[in-house]
Amino acid sequence: MATSTTTTIMAKLRTDLGSHAARKSRRQGQLPAVIYGHKIEPIHILVKQEDVWSLIRRGERVVDVCVDNRPPEKCFVRDVQWDAFGKQVLHVDFVRIRTDERVRTTVPIHIRGTPVGLQAGGVLQQPLHSLEVECLAVNVPEAIRVNVADLQLGQAIHVRDLKLPEGVIPLVDPEAVVVQVAAPKAEVTPTEVTPGPTEPEVIGRRPAKEEEEAE
Amino acid sequence: MPLMPKRVKYRKSQRGRVRGNACRGNQVAFGEYGLQALEGGWLSAQCIEAGRITASHFLRGEGRLFIRVFPHKPISAKPAETRMGKGKGEPEYWAAVVKPGTIIYEVGGVPEEAARECLARIAHKMPFKCRFVTRRPSIGG
Repeated sequence: MATSTTTTIMAKLRTDLGSHAARKSRRQGQLPAVIYGHKIEPIHILVKQEDVWSLIRRGERVVDVCVDNRPPEKCFVRDVQWDAFGKQVLHVDFVRIRTDERVRTTVPIHIRGTPVGLQAGGVLQQPLHSLEVECLAVNVPEAIRVNVADLQLGQAIHVRDLKLPEGVIPLVDPEAVVVQVAAPKAEVTPTEVTPGPTEPEVIGRRPAKEEEEAE
Repeated sequence: MPLMPKRVKYRKSQRGRVRGNACRGNQVAFGEYGLQALEGGWLSAQCIEAGRITASHFLRGEGRLFIRVFPHKPISAKPAETRMGKGKGEPEYWAAVVKPGTIIYEVGGVPEEAARECLARIAHKMPFKCRFVTRRPSIGG
């Protein structure tokens, strides 16, 4: 469970605001972003797309953003906007943080190993893919790794069973199931075809029989 | 039995148009891998069922399939060799309105290679171009 390290990304102040300018800058390999928080005026900036992709790939959340000639600001990646197909990043929100500040964020849960229960015919189910946690902004874990190798058929790992780094508090129900090996569903073999209703019931309309009786 | 609503407010609906891209239901939420529509259109309940059967044959009880769309829209049609007029046709089938970017199916609990193969087989049954997608990196939020 490695924690995030601080990297520095260079940014330029963005003077042309609006969707047209944002599209133009995206075409040139830049990405519109904003820095806000701590009751200081927000700054609209442009960062390099490669820098953002490198952050995303490494799962880093805390970065030092250096805007033009200003001193670097310690920021937390609050939000990443994607296009409808999830291919391109459109915009990034950075929020100013102090090193002693606690933040609420979601951390991905990664499964390690193959459960023993799978050999007994079980099906691995993961209802929780990410965990909402509160921790120091500089100590946000990149991921929570869960070893499921010893999981038998019918067994589950709950949020309370997770080994979290010191200072990381989960904000979800401790009884919530993270991963389980469930018994496989019995294959339904249609023995006889029972014709169901061909049309759904219309709300507010009486059935045809009642209508005839009323007449 | 193909999917359809249990209760509806109106028996027939107007055609409407599929405009824009999907702003909701466009990322993998329940499983690990998904099938994303790259075009918009109507996905009939029969197509959804065909995809489900394909997946259940391939997965054979392993993993889990999630169907992310539901056919809410009644599609009416006039019988063959009928003169125009005399009102709107009777509901013929039910369809889901799919915008480009919508995740149609998701698979979880199987290795990536198996999920790719499974979703590729389903994609052949779909009336529009689809692509295989994985979960988005959960940075930010």
